[in-house]
Amino acid sequence: MTDLTRREFLLIGVAGGAVAAVGVIVPLSRMGETEQAAIDGGSTPPTTTTLPQPPAAVVGFFPKLKVASLSDVNANEPIKFDYPLQGQRNVLVKLDTPVSYGIGPDENIVSFSSICTHMGCVLDQYMPEHNALGPCPCHFSTFDLANNGMVTLGQATQNLPQVLLSVEDDDIYATGVIRLVYGYADTLQGAPMVEVS
Amino acid sequence: MSFAQPARIPLPPVDAEVNIICCEYCPVACGYKAYTWPVGEEGGPAASENALGADFPTGTLSGSWVSENMHNVITRNGQTQNVIVIPDHDIEAVNIGGTHSVRGGALAKKFYNPNSPTSDRFQTPLLRVHGDLIPISWDMATDLVARLSTHTIDNHGELAWGMKIYSYQFYENVFAASKLALGNIETPNYSPHHAPAEGDDVPGLSDTGIDAFAATFEDDREADVIMISGSDPYETKTVRFTTWQQPGGAKLIYVDPRKTFTAAYAMKNGGIHLQLKPGTDVALYNALVREIIDQGWEDKAFISKYVANRSELDGETKWRRQMFGRSFDEIREYVFSREEFTLQGAERETGVPAQLIREAAAMLTGGGGPQPKSMILFEKGLYWSHNYENTAAIGNLGVLIGATGQVGRATGRMGGHQRGGQKAAGYPMDKSPHFFEGNPVEMDTERWLVEGNTRFRWVVGTNWIGAMGATQALAARVRELISTGPTVSSTNVDVAYEQLRARIDEGGLVVVHQEIYPNDSTQYADLVLAAGAWGEENYARNNAERRLRLYEKISDTPGQSIPDWKIFATIGKRMGFGGFDWKDTNEIFEEAGPKSAGGRRDFSALVEYAQEKGLRAHDVLREFGTTGIQTPIVRDGDNLVGTPRLHADMKWKTNSGKANFVFPDWDAVAERNAILAPQGDEVWVLNGRINHVWNNLSDFARREYATQRWPMNFLEINPDDAKKWDMVSGDLLSIESNNVIDQLGNKTTGSFTAVAYVSDTVPTGVTFTYFLFPGSPANSVTPGDSNLQPINLRYNFKLGKGTVTKIGTTDLVGRMSFVPRNLV
Repeated sequence: MTDLTRREFLLIGVAGGAVAAVGVIVPLSRMGETEQAAIDGGSTPPTTTTLPQPPAAVVGFFPKLKVASLSDVNANEPIKFDYPLQGQRNVLVKLDTPVSYGIGPDENIVSFSSICTHMGCVLDQYMPEHNALGPCPCHFSTFDLANNGMVTLGQATQNLPQVLLSVEDDDIYATGVIRLVYGYADTLQGAPMVEVS
Repeated sequence: MSFAQPARIPLPPVDAEVNIICCEYCPVACGYKAYTWPVGEEGGPAASENALGADFPTGTLSGSWVSENMHNVITRNGQTQNVIVIPDHDIEAVNIGGTHSVRGGALAKKFYNPNSPTSDRFQTPLLRVHGDLIPISWDMATDLVARLSTHTIDNHGELAWGMKIYSYQFYENVFAASKLALGNIETPNYSPHHAPAEGDDVPGLSDTGIDAFAATFEDDREADVIMISGSDPYETKTVRFTTWQQPGGAKLIYVDPRKTFTAAYAMKNGGIHLQLKPGTDVALYNALVREIIDQGWEDKAFISKYVANRSELDGETKWRRQMFGRSFDEIREYVFSREEFTLQGAERETGVPAQLIREAAAMLTGGGGPQPKSMILFEKGLYWSHNYENTAAIGNLGVLIGATGQVGRATGRMGGHQRGGQKAAGYPMDKSPHFFEGNPVEMDTERWLVEGNTRFRWVVGTNWIGAMGATQALAARVRELISTGPTVSSTNVDVAYEQLRARIDEGGLVVVHQEIYPNDSTQYADLVLAAGAWGEENYARNNAERRLRLYEKISDTPGQSIPDWKIFATIGKRMGFGGFDWKDTNEIFEEAGPKSAGGRRDFSALVEYAQEKGLRAHDVLREFGTTGIQTPIVRDGDNLVGTPRLHADMKWKTNSGKANFVFPDWDAVAERNAILAPQGDEVWVLNGRINHVWNNLSDFARREYATQRWPMNFLEINPDDAKKWDMVSGDLLSIESNNVIDQLGNKTTGSFTAVAYVSDTVPTGVTFTYFLFPGSPANSVTPGDSNLQPINLRYNFKLGKGTVTKIGTTDLVGRMSFVPRNLV
């Protein structure tokens, strides 16, 4: 993991707005560096007193994390993992149909957040016959993993966040997340930030 | 190498402005707070750093999370601002705990944002010149409407001047419109968005004396058993289900031809699904009444004390109750006189197994054991099928088991939309040209128009034609009428006036459409009046448990658009009428207060209190937050006290004060079914609402989250029918019928297209579609003849039919989900 200074970490609370204001394109997935585990983002938000001047851009980054082996992925057995932060739960599944965002030889391996985007309950039921995650045990939202994680029926106001995947040999890596993860105002809130000049 | 930008949402800084507002859509009307602050500023993730007072990341079920669809950028007081709309944590009712539906949860996206799909909001008045709608000034638009209205009334009579208008779009707007149309013009040519005529939508229930909105949501939680007919609460009254019915744990008796989510939920949780054939509700409820009486399970004490006998019924003064009111003995005699209401007869007529009917009777009554607290709730699937008879039959069941006026025991509507229909004046029934057996009924304004009697129609806030039965026949006639006489060739106000006046005088029709977005009816409009709506003005409205709340202004109206009430007031004044000098909506609300006195929506005490204290009534209402106060409101000194449930005094809305039974005429239903049932290769084409969207999709067609789910209208077809017809999900279907009955009772045709959604939600021989999807006129295959139901002039919206043909494929497989929608 990148060795960040305390000062850089403290910038998290303000950096996003500052960066957006000056139009700098932020965070990136650092493909070159592989993490062994999801980042401990910490649960205690930083306390700021006097705000330092932001650098040109201060960005969070998505780690590259091995989450499964191709040979271990079975149709009816979702693989669970946290990414990019610890506690951000996801599932990786093999669909019964290829999709544009699927990986693997049959382009049917996909991964999504398993935290319901309605009120944050854990989606612990996968229905392989429907490629569907849910219904959520709390309010029954059901998500179609073969259609970008859209809600087929339910009260969630966002598609499930999708975990971007890549394959190297037999290894499947998570490399980023599309859409906001339940509970967060910033998917990488609390993650280490890097300075980009 | 791939790059991904982590999603993020700006949080409101601690000094963000906070307003209260309730959801715009379903009748539950959850409470929300809107936070607004200048773009470029942000709060932090700690509770002390943001106006939400919430730590981010938020926890499970916190109700504080802000999804990407809960944020928008708006113009507020001329300034570009962020807005976040999330459930109100201070609410003590409705959506306690920060829950929401998919519709209300994304309310922020309802606001106008020119960089979003909302960019096609009407921003100026428009006049159709040489066939195209082009911008004109408000001065010209209101002058034209006023002068053409005056000309129509002076030369063709007030019955030739019509208004088709939402019945619910806030007290202040309905009051202003009705002050003009009913109070000043005094026309009977006035009808709501959903029906051809004014009047009661649930007349059979009303004739029992039970108020349709007597219950409070707390009753749902208290009930042991809830029968739900013709409505899927999870899909369309979501938070009433998830916050009140589901946690209450009542066993559900779900009555519907479709196996929807709530049907599946009922089955999984100790309830039952009575999957009746379309149009057979009366046989089912009459059989339940018979079975309960046969078993001796009726609430004898209630009937003895609170149900009118024959001599009391003879004292009724309203013609419908005189004609159809029945005593217990008379109802017993009727249901026992007919074989159709035996368990076996009802099974044959309804398709519901006799054993399930008996089981339902036992569940509702306790089957001879302790009497459970039972509720009976219904909505349009019931009363837009057969109107009078169905609402009478289900009302009888409620009376029979004493399901009224008591905790956890009620009979009534789930509700379709919220309740904001306080009119300024009564309906001029004496001017209506329509009668039932010599008794006046409200004018069927569509029939009247088709007959060529309406020369000027002002359509307000509705897809008028798409929302009426026999849509395409009605549209064809409207095209004829607007093509009779001149069209406008100039933006010169006097030239335009003379051309439209000439059309009126030559027997044609001038259409004004007051709206926020173009819809399928705008194509017929000569004039468009660009309106402001929810969140763009301070308004008040009730929900389905009569809970009155203030909906505050959050955003500016786009461009030159104007809130509805101001349009009515401006034109009223230009027509020379007095009483339209309101400075703001509070003044209208205060004027409306006394008019509400004595009714279900009585907020007169609140207005009296405010005026006595020198306060503004809106400000007093704001103090109640999104919890609001349930009408009727009464005063206890300086306290304003709400009314949780009606009939708690064990009095009903009849002359005797007792509840009535009402004649549930199966013969009338059977006769109508014989006319309306599918013929030949036709199948039932039922229609209704679905979870993600609302009404005519005026908002939702402009919400990416909804349009990705529903890129086009759908038709649910049973897997066996799909196999027989060689169809799969994603096919493009044509649905058509040559047996549609139009506004004049003639046979006509109707057709629309939809994507196939193969699902066991529907049984074989039954299909289901969305009722008002843009570009998909599903009501073109539903009947448009109110003479089929002459008691109350309502359409049989839920009894559409047609043949289903595959005409191609779509590109939707792979970008629209076809996963079953009834997975529990």
